[in-house]
Amino acid sequence: MKAAVDERLDGLRGSAPRLTYSARSLAALENNPRCTLRAVLDASGSDKAAIAAHAGFPTPFGQSPFAIARGNAFEALVKANGCAELIRVLRETLKLTLPEVAYQDLNDVGGNASPEVRCTRTRQLLVNTALGKFPGTLYDHPMLRLQVGGHTVFLEPDLVAFRIEDRFHVVEIKSFPIIDDQADPAQVKAATTQASAYVIALRAMLAEAGIGPDAVSDTIVLVAPKDFTNSPTAAFVDARKQVATLTRQLTRIERIGDLVSLLPEELTFDLAVDEAGKAQRPAEELAAALDQVPALYRPDCLSHCEMAFFCRSRARACASLDVLGPTVREQLGGIDTATMALGLARGELTADVDQAEMAAALRHAARLRAEVLGQPGGAGAAA
Amino acid sequence: MSKVSAMAHLEAMEQMRAVPLTVFRHRRLSIKPLVIVPLTMAGEAGAPLAAMAGTARTAPKLLVVDQPRNRDQRFAFAADLGRIVMDYINSHRLHRRDVTSRGDGPTSRYSDAPQILVPNPGGIKVLADLGRMCRFRKTDGDYPVQPVVPLLGMWLTFLAESAEQAGTSMLLPVTGMLGEHWATGQSVMEDQNLASIMGWIAPADGVSVEQAIADAENPAVCPPAGPATSPEFDKTYLAPAVKRFDDARALGDPTAITAAETDLRELIGEQIKPTWRLMWSAISLLRAVPEAPRTAARFERDLASFTAYSDYQDEGALPQRKRDAAIGAARRLSRLERAQADFEADMAFDDSLVLADLRSVGEAFAGTVTAAETDRVVTTAKNRRVPRPRITVTTDDPVRLAPGVILISPSMPNNHKALIISSAPDEESTQITVEITGGMGRGVVPQKGTVPSLGQRIAYLPDPGWRPTPVFPEPDSIPWTHSSLADEDPDTDTDAAEGWGDAD
Repeated sequence: MKAAVDERLDGLRGSAPRLTYSARSLAALENNPRCTLRAVLDASGSDKAAIAAHAGFPTPFGQSPFAIARGNAFEALVKANGCAELIRVLRETLKLTLPEVAYQDLNDVGGNASPEVRCTRTRQLLVNTALGKFPGTLYDHPMLRLQVGGHTVFLEPDLVAFRIEDRFHVVEIKSFPIIDDQADPAQVKAATTQASAYVIALRAMLAEAGIGPDAVSDTIVLVAPKDFTNSPTAAFVDARKQVATLTRQLTRIERIGDLVSLLPEELTFDLAVDEAGKAQRPAEELAAALDQVPALYRPDCLSHCEMAFFCRSRARACASLDVLGPTVREQLGGIDTATMALGLARGELTADVDQAEMAAALRHAARLRAEVLGQPGGAGAAA
Repeated sequence: MSKVSAMAHLEAMEQMRAVPLTVFRHRRLSIKPLVIVPLTMAGEAGAPLAAMAGTARTAPKLLVVDQPRNRDQRFAFAADLGRIVMDYINSHRLHRRDVTSRGDGPTSRYSDAPQILVPNPGGIKVLADLGRMCRFRKTDGDYPVQPVVPLLGMWLTFLAESAEQAGTSMLLPVTGMLGEHWATGQSVMEDQNLASIMGWIAPADGVSVEQAIADAENPAVCPPAGPATSPEFDKTYLAPAVKRFDDARALGDPTAITAAETDLRELIGEQIKPTWRLMWSAISLLRAVPEAPRTAARFERDLASFTAYSDYQDEGALPQRKRDAAIGAARRLSRLERAQADFEADMAFDDSLVLADLRSVGEAFAGTVTAAETDRVVTTAKNRRVPRPRITVTTDDPVRLAPGVILISPSMPNNHKALIISSAPDEESTQITVEITGGMGRGVVPQKGTVPSLGQRIAYLPDPGWRPTPVFPEPDSIPWTHSSLADEDPDTDTDAAEGWGDAD
């Protein structure tokens, strides 16, 4: 059964190499989890950016070189000299008693940087630490492994700290500022979700050695620049909710077969890339294939999903209310398109039993707008 | 948002053009606003990259930071922007007029207040951050700055705080003003793109709305209105140009430095100018929308708070604290909530489309007077005979107001007050009997035109009413549970020395 699902997923992806999940793409599962199109594309390891671009909707995402440089410089600063700055912050800002600090660099193992080797070494060290056989405190870039939908995903947290209350804590280093103890909520949320993936992976790794989930805290340590300076500050962030949500999304991936079995047998998102690396598949044919999979577009997809511009064009084409976003949508429960809403409002469509109440409210709203706009100058407000 | 507003968005979607959401513009638009388009460097904590500023479409000033990571250049930028902003603010501190005030408030007020307009909410955030960065700086000591820098910091903080309060007009995002008056066929998030919302309202000649909103999202055609520049622009143009400047400075070659500076200015000028032009087109569109009657009264409150802060500055102000203490936070919350409620009530009273929003959810109603007992007189407990006419209004609105609710009416003279006596649903319509309780003059016979007559169209909405100003404890009588050492005045000395990005 499982093999059959994998075969179908490989078929959907076609000839392109499989893309594995990253902490970022796992974190993205939390946004819009009910979208089938994204679930199928992600589970099959398809290259969403390439597919969207070939279908005529290139993604304008990308990071500014300034942002990348700043992020790297800040992380280097925090970790310089065996994490001297980080230890200062943990002690001074978070008031932790870290008696002695042993720092382990896991960026490579004796010069070997392959994920498998690093992962084995990471597991060996962390398990021994948890069992009290090894005195480690800070682990720089450990390599964790997580099975997602039957495939191995390697995840690399910035840092894992032990001995904060004798539990492992995921430390996430970000370069957005914490100004007067406050940071941008959206950025904190993204960082926390990403860290949740590490918490889950770390727990899975320790579970293999028979160590319970309590060994890994679901409070993460966020390290970020203080105010407008370069010097770091830190805060504890409660990630319980996001760990739970992400865990649920991961179990959904296991059930991807249910979604795939509803799709046509021959469906594929293959771009038919030729030897020169150019996609040969006609764009309309690709778009038609994508149209076979139901997508759930929401305006905030635009800020995180590569397919969003494609989905928006589809939503616009059928006058879906999704285009207008949740504030309008929630006013019109049970109605999916602008055409239907306006049809009911103008009495051109007959409402079924479920829609009767909504239709009456819409007719009234339409009458009110017409009444006001029909007056000369839209007045009636003369006091 | 109600179904009436939702209907406007549906119409916009169907017709592929923006449609009005309100009859009026509810924000004051100064005859001479100061427009600022700020740009920041990606990744840095609110590091300014450039700003274009001016009070007219022509001859704006362009300020550019050649190396945003350089501390001295950032402060030079803050000082330059500070001079522009302070000149503008000071030009509103010339004329005062007397006001009658209750209590011991000031007896005179400035006759005009500044208005700074930025493209989007991100622009306000940039100014607020800049205010936070500048207000604790010192003009002496280790890292001295020009005197205008902390002054700019305090004023920007004042303006950014005023922008959080509903109905104020001293610092506003233009996308917000456009979105308040026009409904588009896209989401709120997309409406925050200035070029995009302008594409819905007034696409350029010969350009369809479809094309205009597609262009708005293409940074190659339409540079973003900021605060961040497009990553593609950063990669292809900005990063190399900044590097050329750094190299020239490292070599100490004055000709090369000047050349690199000129390059950067031109590059950034090209990015910022399209937004500058859009800002002024948006302003003239907004100017063409009639201003709501009650905007003037709200502006008086702006004038009062501007005058109060200005006088505080003249007495030698301290920078605003970083975080509110318990009392300050409670006071601020109370002020913001009242402002929000007042603004909503004002808009509904002025604007029949906003009123329609309330009517569609049953929180207001309008209809025809179908019965009237205009000569009804009652005797009060004080044995005084007063007119208490009763009328019955028949409405199609789904009224949800209960008997006993006090009403005001935009269709009647200003101090008209009424009380709901009963409401009786009658198939499709509802008959509501109200008793007129105020606004009829002092006599036993109501003055002419103060009582609705039979057959008249009339609208009623609940009276937001007068609420007492909440009283908060004085700083010296705060219970120990609500105070802490952190509530003491901020230690500004350490803040003056705090680093600012990568000082090189």
